[in-house]
Amino acid sequence: MPQITTNWSGVITNPERKQSYIRRVREIDKNIGSFLSFNPDLPGSDTTVKGALGGMPIAVKDNIAVTGHPLTCGSRILENLVAPYTATAVQRLEDAGAVVVGKTNLDEFGMGSSNENSALGTTVNPWNNDRVPGGSSGGSAAAVAAGLVPLALGSDTGGSVRQPANFCGVYGLKPTYGSVSRFGLTAYASSLEVIGTLTRDIDLMETAFGIMSGIDENDQSSVSYEDSVVPDSDISSVVMLSVGNDMLDDPVARAYMETGEALRAAGYSVTEISLPSLDLVVPAYYTIATAEASANLARFNGIRYGYAPDFAENPADLMKKARHEGFGREVKLRILLGTYVLRSGFQDQYYGRAQKIRTLIRKELESVFSSADLLLMPVFPTQAFLKGDSEMDDFKQRLADVFTCLANLSGLPALSLPIGVENGLPTGVQFMAPSFGEQRLFKVARNLKDTFPLQTPPNYLDIGSLV
Amino acid sequence: MKAHDKYDVFIGLEIHIHLNTESKMFCSCKAHYGDDPNKNVCPVCLGYPGTLPLLNGKAMELGYLVAKSLGCKTAIKTSFSRKNYFYPDMPKNYQISQFEEPVGVDGLVEADFGLSERRKIRIHDVHLEEDAGKMIHAGDITLLDYNRAGYPLLEIVTEPDLRSGEETESFLRDFQRLVRYLGVSDANMDEGSMKCDANVSLNHPGKGLGTKVELKNMNSPRFVRQALNYEIARHAGILDTGGSLVQETRLWNENRDITEVMRRKEAADDYRYFPEPDMPSFVPDKAFLARVEAGMVELPLEKKRRLKAEYSLTSEQAEFIHDEAATAVFFEESVKAGADAQNAASWLSSDIRKLLNRSSLTLEESPLDARRFATLLGLIKEGQISGKIAKKVLGKIFSDNLDPRDIVTKEGWFQISNPEELEVIVKKVMMENPDVVSAVKAGDIRQKGFLMGQVMRISDGKAAPELSGSILDELLGNST
Repeated sequence: MPQITTNWSGVITNPERKQSYIRRVREIDKNIGSFLSFNPDLPGSDTTVKGALGGMPIAVKDNIAVTGHPLTCGSRILENLVAPYTATAVQRLEDAGAVVVGKTNLDEFGMGSSNENSALGTTVNPWNNDRVPGGSSGGSAAAVAAGLVPLALGSDTGGSVRQPANFCGVYGLKPTYGSVSRFGLTAYASSLEVIGTLTRDIDLMETAFGIMSGIDENDQSSVSYEDSVVPDSDISSVVMLSVGNDMLDDPVARAYMETGEALRAAGYSVTEISLPSLDLVVPAYYTIATAEASANLARFNGIRYGYAPDFAENPADLMKKARHEGFGREVKLRILLGTYVLRSGFQDQYYGRAQKIRTLIRKELESVFSSADLLLMPVFPTQAFLKGDSEMDDFKQRLADVFTCLANLSGLPALSLPIGVENGLPTGVQFMAPSFGEQRLFKVARNLKDTFPLQTPPNYLDIGSLV
Repeated sequence: MKAHDKYDVFIGLEIHIHLNTESKMFCSCKAHYGDDPNKNVCPVCLGYPGTLPLLNGKAMELGYLVAKSLGCKTAIKTSFSRKNYFYPDMPKNYQISQFEEPVGVDGLVEADFGLSERRKIRIHDVHLEEDAGKMIHAGDITLLDYNRAGYPLLEIVTEPDLRSGEETESFLRDFQRLVRYLGVSDANMDEGSMKCDANVSLNHPGKGLGTKVELKNMNSPRFVRQALNYEIARHAGILDTGGSLVQETRLWNENRDITEVMRRKEAADDYRYFPEPDMPSFVPDKAFLARVEAGMVELPLEKKRRLKAEYSLTSEQAEFIHDEAATAVFFEESVKAGADAQNAASWLSSDIRKLLNRSSLTLEESPLDARRFATLLGLIKEGQISGKIAKKVLGKIFSDNLDPRDIVTKEGWFQISNPEELEVIVKKVMMENPDVVSAVKAGDIRQKGFLMGQVMRISDGKAAPELSGSILDELLGNST
């Protein structure tokens, strides 16, 4: 049973403590920029203390709907949109007493791994303000790392929860596809993405996941978790993805090796495997993701909501201008790519082939899990990189998604966890489990907690000690 | 028609019907006409970010029902795809439709088109999709109403097996009847609950399909016929002079009775179909299939053929009686209650129809039921009332909601068939019209009709006609 150690007592329910909380968050976030909007006093944020998360302040990535809060998706085209409804995952947390205090920054529509593709704000890494927090859920990761909230929601389409969690030194969970309702999550690549959690407390993560997961009548791709869950009792064997020497930066490689050794020391059998289709992961991922994105983002046309130009000749002109002026460069690029790969006559060559690769990867992973309980992998080849193009250009960032995209293409759950701090920046690894095997992920993370204790960045806010 | 002698004509249809469901295809908004603009909308059907489609199971059921009724192979597994194109009234700028796995494929309808030979019209597929909203252009501005966005639509695509405007009109009327029988749609083309686009091509005999022209904006089966016949003549005219046709889409202009170019097609539209990731495939279970089975009824074409054979009706009678399911039910119940089929058919298609039109009632709403109708026809047959009185009785049933026998008793409308009573009346007429009597006796037999008319007038139409006639003849003879 998870025993939440986080202390959030009175942060929302005690008026004085709440005032000092708000003041401190504003102060700290001036430098970090994790929140696009911080509204702890919005109607609906009652000072309820009922439930497992009674009175806990939480942050929600700004591509997930919460009634009354903005829903910008980090895009100019939705800059003024206020959500008219609440996502199921958020609703369930609210029903358990959590209070949404703000919406966090992200790469526009979730497209990016640095938060630098946000049109509406800059977020920096709390460990080093010259560096990116990762992305696309960079705002949520930074907010949790800085201690502004004990729990934040993100979305993971190709690593967008795990990679920023890794860059910021917190836990990041990408649940099994279908285990958490997507209702209320602005779609980027519907068949790949899922709402995930970021926190410094593995027991809080397990509790929150338990609350959020389960079938939702508003999402037909959601499934009943209880019927599908894989028991955690039998973790004994872990396989490690064998990774070429040149693939990882040294601190990342060291953390990866240390994790393997720690597991052996803890009595797990640890062996290395390779995945023959690993090289195909990124191309397949980007083909499917951009194809779905080209349709998912078609609805943003300046007519019913969102940015509209001052003048248009006719409805077609209105849509054209709204999209031209409202979308950023990366979003336009992915829409164009997606449109290209879906052209009639070319589907077999691109989209169809990508789906075949997807099936292949699923099968490879199935065979991995037929003999192993968990798969250990790096999260990202580097630690948090510098802002701007100097260390990692857009293309390199995409290639670097190889380890995270696996879980999205296969639908399997994966958890990234902090291992240490090198050169003042966090390092970490991720574990992947078979479908609905989240319990195994929580268990292994808990077992490694004492070996690799979480550390705090400078200016960390301990909300448990607010007065 | 001249064109048909020289060319093969190929007509295929794309028919859309709104399904009669309480709610929309993918959300719980009311599917209802005539409400204030943008009243029946929600984040889902307005395409707000983060919303997801939820399948309307009833729409799926109705889709299967129609597919089955059109002789299609119904899908063991059916799924949705996204059809991508931008249009201001389409909230998501893609339409959730069916592409790879529609509810039904390879159907066949055997129509008779009022001819003796049966014609086979193949159905390519039957698939479900969602409707778009509506754009209203008002001067400089364009208004949008999304009430219709997300309405469940069923599209039926035929192979190019129709040959003329007349056949097509008849096929469409058969189709409307079919879906109304099944209760799946009102299928009114003028109200927009049914739409029909047609493609037509002509070619020299045996050469296969010609260059296809697509026709739109035809708001009734009659306009479909007119537009097709116009196009057939136009194509024939071009081919006659050795010209060639352009693949294009044309609109029917119902004010000028002509078709006009809407757009030329350089290449086929690319809708970039791909599987809808938000919705799992649908695999009907036993309970679902049982509900579809329970929704099946005797289909109109079968019913027409059976009624005609079983009751020896004329084609026209069978056509009229099967036109609405309620009429057919009423007819058969009346016969069961003792009515003569032939009489029932002719009364239904004439006097009853007129009364219904005048009172704006349907047969089911009217005070006339099968039992009363059979009684009324029985009274005529037994000689208790004349046909003329029967019409008055029918009027009284509608106005007073009483049984025919009670009406006849109350009004004293039973036929006079007592010879003595009739003789008194005939004698009275003869006495009052001595000049006519003389003329008849002098050989002007035509004037006898006048005397009969007087007999009917004096008796308020109750005199038994045959008996009165023979009494008149007898008295005229006797007095010579």
